[in-house]
Amino acid sequence: MRDKLIIGRMIPTGSRVHELDPRAKIAAMLLFTAALILSNGWPQLAALAILSILVLTATKIPAKTYLRALRPLRWLMLFVFLFQLIAGAGNGAVNLSAVEPLLWSWTWGPFTLTSAVLSSALLAVSRMALLIVFTAMLTFTTTPSMLSRGVEGMLKPLSRKGTGAERFSLMMRLALRFIPALLEEAQTILKAQAARGADYEEMKLKEKARLLLSLLVPVTVGAFRRAEELTTSLEARGYRIGAPRTAYRQLIWRSADTWFTLLFALLPVGALLMRLTL
Amino acid sequence: MIGWIRRNAGKKSNSEADGFGRKPTIAEPLSGMDEAAASMGDRIEDAAAKKNAAGLSDPVIELSHVDYTYQAGSPFAAAALHDVNIRIRKGTLVGIAGGTGSGKSTLLQLLNGLLLPTGGTVEVLDRTLLPNRQKPKLNALRRRIGLSFQFPEQHLFEDTVEKDLMFGPMNFGSSRKEAQSKAVEALKSMGLDEALLKRHPLTLSGGQMRKVAIASVLAAGPEIVMLDEPTATLDSAARRELIALLARLCREEGRTILMVTHRIEELMEVADEWIVMHEGSVVFQGDADELADRSEELDHWGIAVPEQLRCWAEWTARLPQLAALPLPRTAEDMARRIEEAVRGFAECESTNMASEEGAKHESIQALGGPADSSADALPGHGKEASICVTS
Amino acid sequence: MEREAAALVELQDIEFAYTKKDTVLKGVNLTVRQGEWIAVVGESGCGKSTLVRLLNALLRPQNGVVSVFGEELTEHNAPLVRARIGMVFQNPDNQFIGETVEEDIAFGLEGLCLDRAEMERRITAYTDKLNISSLLPKHPGELSGGQKQRCAVAACLSMEPEIVVFDEATSMQDERSRRELLGVIRGMKEQGNYTMFSVTHDVDEMLAADRIIALQNGTIRADRTPDTFFEDEEVLRDCGIELPFRLRLEQQLRARGIG
Repeated sequence: MRDKLIIGRMIPTGSRVHELDPRAKIAAMLLFTAALILSNGWPQLAALAILSILVLTATKIPAKTYLRALRPLRWLMLFVFLFQLIAGAGNGAVNLSAVEPLLWSWTWGPFTLTSAVLSSALLAVSRMALLIVFTAMLTFTTTPSMLSRGVEGMLKPLSRKGTGAERFSLMMRLALRFIPALLEEAQTILKAQAARGADYEEMKLKEKARLLLSLLVPVTVGAFRRAEELTTSLEARGYRIGAPRTAYRQLIWRSADTWFTLLFALLPVGALLMRLTL
Repeated sequence: MIGWIRRNAGKKSNSEADGFGRKPTIAEPLSGMDEAAASMGDRIEDAAAKKNAAGLSDPVIELSHVDYTYQAGSPFAAAALHDVNIRIRKGTLVGIAGGTGSGKSTLLQLLNGLLLPTGGTVEVLDRTLLPNRQKPKLNALRRRIGLSFQFPEQHLFEDTVEKDLMFGPMNFGSSRKEAQSKAVEALKSMGLDEALLKRHPLTLSGGQMRKVAIASVLAAGPEIVMLDEPTATLDSAARRELIALLARLCREEGRTILMVTHRIEELMEVADEWIVMHEGSVVFQGDADELADRSEELDHWGIAVPEQLRCWAEWTARLPQLAALPLPRTAEDMARRIEEAVRGFAECESTNMASEEGAKHESIQALGGPADSSADALPGHGKEASICVTS
Repeated sequence: MEREAAALVELQDIEFAYTKKDTVLKGVNLTVRQGEWIAVVGESGCGKSTLVRLLNALLRPQNGVVSVFGEELTEHNAPLVRARIGMVFQNPDNQFIGETVEEDIAFGLEGLCLDRAEMERRITAYTDKLNISSLLPKHPGELSGGQKQRCAVAACLSMEPEIVVFDEATSMQDERSRRELLGVIRGMKEQGNYTMFSVTHDVDEMLAADRIIALQNGTIRADRTPDTFFEDEEVLRDCGIELPFRLRLEQQLRARGIG
C-alpha cells in the first residue's frame, strides 16, 4: 500500500516551483481544474497539457516520478474510460460533441461506437490524468504544513472570526501528518493477517472484501487512540482553538507568485472564450 | 559426530557464514578421520554428538547474501538489509538485538515471505525464497513459521479473542471444532484464563493483549515462532514471566524461537545464540560467551552492554581466575562462581599463611567490598588462585 | 533538609474515576517541592499516568484539591498553568505536530505569542542544548525514535516550563536512546531549574530520581528514596518491579557472605 502511494510527500529539489507561495500554487491548481472542466476539445486539452509539462519540467522532478503517481489510479482511469465508452456507445448514434466530425462508426447490437464517443472517452481520461499529475506536482513541491498555511491564508478573509480557517487548517495539517500513519497501520494489520495464513494477494475477490472489512474496527480504534494521544499532547502544549497565536512562518507573496497566478487565471478564461466562440 | 548434511548438495558452500565454527561437509564419510585427530577433538565432537542426538544441528533457517531494499526503484528507495548471512539451528532460542532501524523487523518479515529479498536467498524449513517479481504461494510455509508483531493492537483484528485465536488455524485448514480447541490450548499455554475468549481483544490490558497476540501465533502450531520486541512497554515482572514462557516453548516443546529485543539483558539467561544487527548488516552471530568477548563493540552497535557482562567484567578484573569460566547467565550462578573463586582463593591463602579462619574471613571481605583497593592487591595472588580453581 | 523550599505541587485527598464503576485513584496525598525529581512507578493500570495528568488539568479529580505553584487548580487558571508545565509522552509520533522539527518546536512557541526573533532564539538555544540542531529541517519520518523523543523534549523545554513530566517517555526507546534521554533528564536535574516527574518502568530511571512514589490499586503504596525502596522486596513484588541484575547479584553475594 505504502509502496504505491507516493502522492503527499514533498520531494526537495530546490526548484523555482518549490519556492512559490503555497497560495499561488493552490490558486493555480483551482484555476487549472476550472480550465480542465471547461475545456471540451483536444486543442484546449493540448494547451493545458503543454503548460503542465512546462511546469512539471520546472520542478526538476523526473517524469518517471509523475508516472508513478498515476500508477495506483490506473484501474480507476480504465474504469472511467470504459464507462464513458459504454455509456456513449449505448446512446446509439447520438453524437456527443458537435465539434467532432463523425469519422467512423461501428455497431454491435444496441451499441454504436463512433469516433466521437471514443474521442470523448479518451478526453475524459486525459483530463483525469492531467488533474492527478497536477495534484502530484502540488504535493511534490509543497510541504503539507505550507499547504495548510496556504489554505488557511486563503480562507481567512472568508471567515469573519478567524477560527473557522484555523480549525480547517489544523485539521488539514493533522490529516496530512497522520493519514500516512493510519495507512501504515492498516498495512501492518494486513501483514499480520497474511502471517496467519490469510494473504490478501492470494485471495479471491469475496474473501478480499471480507478481509478489508475486518480492518475497519482495528484501524478506527487505532485512529481514535492516536487522536486521543494527539489531543492530550496538543492540550498539554497549551493549544486552544481561538487562543491568540503568533506565526513562526510568514507567507511571503513575491512578484513571481503574481505572474504564476495570472498565467493560470488565463486558462479558464481562454477555455471559456473558446467554448463560447466555437 | 555426524557432520550435518546440506540440503542442497552441490550448492556453493559458504564456510565464513557457518555460525558454529565447523566447516560444512557434504555428507562426508566419517571413517576418513585418523585416530589422533579424533582423540584431540574428543570434547568438541562429544558436544556436537550431543547436539546431533537432540536434532539440534539441522539448520531451519539459512540466509545467504540477502539484501532488501524498501520501495526499490522509487525515489524513496531505502536499503534496509545488506549482505545478510545467518544460519539458525532447530530448537534453539535466538535473540536478535540491534538499535532502532538496524533491520531487525525487516529480517523477521523476510523469513515468512511477507517481504521477498531483493538479493540473495532465504531458506526457511523446506522453502527457498528468491528475489522474484511473482509472489509465491506461502501459506504452507506460514503455518510452520509464526510471527508476532511489535504492537499487539496491530496484530489483533477480530471482535472476540476466540475468533482471533481461531483465525490462523482456520486459514491453515483446521475445522471449526479443531480451531476452537487449538484456541483454548494456545490461550492456556500463555497462562491466560479461558474467560477471556469472549472478550474483545482491544479491551484487554496491555500485558494480556500481548499474550493473546502470541497465543494467536501459537494456535497454528508453528515450528518456528518469531516475536518482534514482545517485551517493549511491559513492566519488568511481566517481562520476566513472558521470557520464562518462551523458554518453556523452546525447551519443552522443541520449537525454534527468534526474539527481537533491544535489551540483551532480559534474554541473556535463556538465549542459546545471539544475532546482532547494525545498520542493516549482521555484525555478530554467536553465543553469550562470544558476545562477552566483543562487549566493547556493543556500544558502537547501539546496544547497551548487558548488566551480566558489566558485572562479570568487574569481577573478573578483581578475580582473574574467573576469566577462564564461561559467562554465568543468572545472578545466582554468577554469585556461586564468585563465591567459589573467593573461597578457593581464601583456602589457598590460608594454606600459604597457615592462619586458618582469620585470613579466610579477611580476604572475603577484602574482595567483596565494592570498588575498594583490594583490586590492587590481587595480581600478586592471581597465580595461586587460578591453580586453586583448576585443581 | 529542604524545609525552606516551597511546596510546588500539592495533592490533597484526590479521588479520580474515568467511569463510575472503577476508581483509579483514591485518597492520594502528595507534596512535592521545587527542584525535586519524582519517579512514579507501579504496575500497568495502577493510575500512574492519571496522577500526572491531574497536575495540568488534563484530567480533573472528582474529589480533592490539586494545587500547583501555590494556587488551587481551577478551570480558569488551567491554561496559564499548562504553559508552565511541560509534558513528554510515550509515543513520540503522536506528539509530533509539525512537518519538520523546527515547525514542531515553533508550534508550542506560537501559542505563547512570542515574536519571531524570540522563537528563533529559543529554537536555536534548546536544539543546541539537546544536540539536535542538525535535525531542524527533518521530517519526523526521517528520524529515529530516540531523535524524535529528543525533539519532543526540546519542544517542551523551549516553552521554558517549571515542571516537566515524562510520561513513560523512555519506554518505547531502544537502549541507546533510553540512556541518552536519561542523561538529558539527569542534566536537567543538575541544573536545578526544573521540578520533574517521571512515570516509568525503567529501574535506572527510578534509581536516578530523588523520590519514588509507588502506586498500587490507586493509592500510594510507598513514598521513599530509591535506596530504601529497593530494599523492600514486598513493595517491589506488589508493584511489579523486578530487581535489576546488578542488585540481584549484590543480594545473592550478601546472602553468601560476600560484600
